[in-house]
Amino acid sequence: MTVATARRQPSQAPDGMAQTDPLDNEAWTARINNDRKRVAAFCSSDLRLMTEAVEHRCRALGAHALVLTGSTARGRRTDVSDLDFHVIGARPEIHDLPDEIDLYDDEPEVFLEKLDRGDDFVHWTVRHGCILFDAGVLREAAWRIAEGDLWPDARRKRSQAARALEFSEKLVRSGDREAALEHVRGSLTLVSRWLLLSRSEFPLARDELAGQLDSIGHRELAEALSETIHARPDVATSLAYLRFARSLTHSS
Amino acid sequence: MQPKSKVEIAEDHLRKAQAEAVGGDLRDAVQWAFASLEATLDALAEPRGIVIDAKHWNRAKAAGQLYESGVLHDDLTELHAALNRLRKSVFYDGEELTGDDIDIEDSLRRIEDAVQVARGEADASGKGGRV
Repeated sequence: MTVATARRQPSQAPDGMAQTDPLDNEAWTARINNDRKRVAAFCSSDLRLMTEAVEHRCRALGAHALVLTGSTARGRRTDVSDLDFHVIGARPEIHDLPDEIDLYDDEPEVFLEKLDRGDDFVHWTVRHGCILFDAGVLREAAWRIAEGDLWPDARRKRSQAARALEFSEKLVRSGDREAALEHVRGSLTLVSRWLLLSRSEFPLARDELAGQLDSIGHRELAEALSETIHARPDVATSLAYLRFARSLTHSS
Repeated sequence: MQPKSKVEIAEDHLRKAQAEAVGGDLRDAVQWAFASLEATLDALAEPRGIVIDAKHWNRAKAAGQLYESGVLHDDLTELHAALNRLRKSVFYDGEELTGDDIDIEDSLRRIEDAVQVARGEADASGKGGRV
């Protein structure tokens, strides 16, 4: 995978790392160095050891790239945060590593295809993840974002959110409070991401979404999401949140 | 109404998973199957003092411990991991699933065996119904 060699000035991307000109060697090197500093700053010694283990295994398998993603990459871990990675290329065995590690994997061509069709998770990786190493696929992706003004597909996110809301409501009604809480939080997160994408705001880590929603005038959803992250709403409240979120997906 | 016990929840979720599998909705079958397995592990872990603390990775660990200690005759650690990955791709990424992604009948049979162990323990201790 190589970066296109034609020197073209990327258009101004709306946010995140895509502001880095991926064709500028110095700027790209600075981005990777800065990402390394973020990993050091945001990870405890335990998390750093896990990160090193995952990186070592990915490199040994000849993976194309590895990125620390999720709330850790934003320095916004909460009590329910996993340690998320996105590997592009071969997926290493991690069964013997701590279970809080969550590893997503894509082959390079699939990764770029997802980027082109507006998968917001892949966009998140490129824009806000901390790059641990890259043989070129991430730089290619960054170039595509900048050159093509690529933006995640908000309609796709809305459809995902609608399906998630439907399942979550069944789960809340099942009486499984623990699973219900996670799914209500997940559904509200999906609705939030859809709303932000549709307003040209790139959704950041879960714990940052409430602030972003507030800034685009969705305070009620922001408060509901915050409560599912930091408290334990009861069944009636959970159902009310789901109904409200569903009304947003129907009305917009 | 009294809240349901973990065993009751596991049984209810399993029935839904089985119904969705028969009906051909693999997405919902996987989501209910995972929820059933998690409730089963909660039910078996709690009386043994195995800490779950609402964390998926603690349940994965508990699955291994329950197998090693002979409570379960099947190590469900990898099944837990596979279902967790699949249900996340369904719920958060909106992915569709096919029969190549998972053998749902075999997965449900293994979960059913574990649910039956949890049911047997709950009945023996008199804590099988609503709590």
